[in-house]
Amino acid sequence: MSCKLAFRNVGRSIRDYAVYFLTLTFGVCLFYTFNSLGDQSVMKFLAQNDNPNVEGIFLLMGVFSAFVAVVLAGLILYANQFLMKRRKRELGTYFLLGMDSGRVSRLLVLETLLIGLAALISGVALGALASWALDKLTVSMFLATPGEIFSFTLSRPAVGKTTLYFGIIFLLVMAFTGVNVSRSRLIGLIRSNRTNEEVAQRPLALAVALFLLGCVSLGTAYAILLVRGLLRIDLLWFLMLGLGTLGTFLIFRSLSGFLLRLTKGHPGYYKGLNMFVLRQWSGKVHTNCASNTVISILLLLAIGVTACSVGLNDTITSAVGGQSPYDLTVLNYGRNGDYEQADVSALFLAAGVDPQAVFSKVESVTVYYNNETATGFPEAGFYAAISLTAYNSIMEGRSLPSLSPEDIPCPTPDPIVNGPAADGVVVVSDELASRLVPRRQVVNINYRGDAATVDALVRQTLEGAQDFTGGLDIMINYKLDNYYDLMGAKILVLYMGLYLGLVFLLTAAAVLALQQLSQAADNARRYKLLSRLGASETMRRKALIRQVALAFLLPLALGVIHAFVGMKAANEVIQVMGRVDSVHSSLLTAGLLLLIYGGYFLATCFGAWRTVRTGED
Amino acid sequence: MEPILNVHGLQKTYGGRGTCTKALQGLDFRVFPGEFVGVMGPSGSGKTTLLNCISTIDHPTAGSILVDGSELTALKGKALSQFRREKLGFIFQDCNLLDTLTGLENIALALTIGGAEPRSVERRAREAARLLGVEEVLDKFPYQMSGGQQQRVAAARAMVTGPALILADEPTGALDSKSTGMLLGQLDKLNREEGATILLVTHDAFTASWCRRILFLRDGELYRELHRRSMDRKAFFREILSVVSELGGDSGDVL
Repeated sequence: MSCKLAFRNVGRSIRDYAVYFLTLTFGVCLFYTFNSLGDQSVMKFLAQNDNPNVEGIFLLMGVFSAFVAVVLAGLILYANQFLMKRRKRELGTYFLLGMDSGRVSRLLVLETLLIGLAALISGVALGALASWALDKLTVSMFLATPGEIFSFTLSRPAVGKTTLYFGIIFLLVMAFTGVNVSRSRLIGLIRSNRTNEEVAQRPLALAVALFLLGCVSLGTAYAILLVRGLLRIDLLWFLMLGLGTLGTFLIFRSLSGFLLRLTKGHPGYYKGLNMFVLRQWSGKVHTNCASNTVISILLLLAIGVTACSVGLNDTITSAVGGQSPYDLTVLNYGRNGDYEQADVSALFLAAGVDPQAVFSKVESVTVYYNNETATGFPEAGFYAAISLTAYNSIMEGRSLPSLSPEDIPCPTPDPIVNGPAADGVVVVSDELASRLVPRRQVVNINYRGDAATVDALVRQTLEGAQDFTGGLDIMINYKLDNYYDLMGAKILVLYMGLYLGLVFLLTAAAVLALQQLSQAADNARRYKLLSRLGASETMRRKALIRQVALAFLLPLALGVIHAFVGMKAANEVIQVMGRVDSVHSSLLTAGLLLLIYGGYFLATCFGAWRTVRTGED
Repeated sequence: MEPILNVHGLQKTYGGRGTCTKALQGLDFRVFPGEFVGVMGPSGSGKTTLLNCISTIDHPTAGSILVDGSELTALKGKALSQFRREKLGFIFQDCNLLDTLTGLENIALALTIGGAEPRSVERRAREAARLLGVEEVLDKFPYQMSGGQQQRVAAARAMVTGPALILADEPTGALDSKSTGMLLGQLDKLNREEGATILLVTHDAFTASWCRRILFLRDGELYRELHRRSMDRKAFFREILSVVSELGGDSGDVL
């Protein structure tokens, strides 16, 4: 009997509380997708190549997943609370019919179990699809030859972990539900839908004062952030967070009274259902100011994290990509610390690689010890010097701007070799260079033909070669190595950013949607009255959409302002590492925001309209 | 004189084959401008069905309803909404006012829905409130008003648009006797001084005694019609009671 009832209820819940179910499914889907990274072809590929970032990615993913699980647990408990509120009368009926609280609890636990299972299965299925799509996307982003490396698979460890974490969350939900039911009183359940909205009226002066106070504390927080930067974490930093939160809270708290008075004098207030919509919204924005604050901050985090990770991602590209202008750089440190020029082509030939056949360019340059008194650049920051002629010939080979004698001495505008050795080189005149002590020979090499094949051939040959260096201290910097490092770093930043950003965004949107939908029953009564007073369906639908839009837009507006200021501070941090392409990251973030937030907005509008319509005559 | 409300051969059947319930079985009556008409009858007599049909919430199975010359059964969608907001004013037993709006705004709502000139809305709403003596609660929310005040605000909202017909469904159902007297006194004044046409549905004899004419329904048919004429309210009340006891008690069957 209980079982049948539970099945029926779940069937209805999935229809009525589609947003709740969707949120559960999305939560599971996100969790699965990011935890299945280990089975993604790019990650497998990186792990094969002993990428140093792989371990970091998994470690961070574990930590973040725990954090995300906590956030999702909070969201699901919150959502469940809303559902319970809406079902109070139904529960009351069960009690009235003589079910004891044990049986009602069992019924609800069974329902939670069924919904949880359904969400888990659909979430993992969706997650498998998303993971496959993400894999394909990453492959296309990072690997030149996708070939056979991706396939559609279900990641067992991810399924296990998802089941475990969400199992615990659903157990928690069941426990809460059980406690809730055993503590509820029949009279409270039966009379639950007879509560009237209490709209407290506060003096305008107080609202204005609170609003101004909110603006001031928010402004102070912004000022602290912008002046001191993002990363100085001390007492003042926490003060900034506190002031920012307080400011947001106060603005939400005072806004209803404030805005209402402002609009009331306007003739548009008495136009159509404007008055109704504003009142609907203002009553709720006051009661919901705490949750609105949380939503705004979640949105700030979502926007900030996503935009920063995308921005950082682009910065890493420009930073690392610029440092690998050649397929290969050979650094010859000489013999026992003394400079000694070598014929690198001959060394390769001796080892079994024919430079004529596989290299399109072999270019040898000598760099000198930087003498501070001669060049005027500190030895601490600049380890070497290069002659103008040598520099210009290198640049000419890559069709980059060359330097004229008036420009020097100056640091190299463009890297002369692969890797970190490119930093800290000064360009000096040929005459000055001739007076400096030679330090190192660098040989830049480009491959002929397919880079990946040649690279594999070179590595293989050098590994197998007996004494390739002939006693010289030689370091080789492969472009592909740098590229994989870069890829690892990018995946780390991008995935973590997207993971957290999406979870925050999802949580914020879901909380808003649930709030709106939980009011739908109350709204149904009001819209029914509007219908009886002769408001046409179009009028009512528009009013409902505007009401939902106001609820969604207000926290978003404040969240976007926060994010704008936060991003300014964050970009300064990122800028230390390189150029920031804020347009790209902003566009991508806006796209994600539109997709998820907009999706939830539409779903809420449909859901709310459905409830309102069914409540009509 | 043309009737404001002309109900002819009105039938309403609920349910399908086998289990059909005849709520109204061929009802005929007219209401003329400036009348204050009461509809009485025991539970199941068809009062609510009649009101729902007139207020366009429900569709009759057969027959016609003409309000101010327009045939209701032919109206649909937008025309229906337009008809409701232009020709009808409503007072219900409960759920009358929007809890999120103040008294003034609740009255104004009827005007703004009808697309009234925004600048005139507040003035007209205050005027209506003055007529029903609820000026002191205009800035209060419904939960801050008494039940009687809420109903009088609802009455003000019902008449503010100047409708052809005001429909009141058990308006005193949830009120104590003092508030009942006050609300009915105001409706009576509205009827006498403003010439408002009111159709009031009730099962309470005291409430009905304020009307000028009463239609008694039984089993979906018109059972009796009572005119107040020059009677005072007390005498009219006693007469109503005797019909009610006839109706509800069915004494003829018992004795």
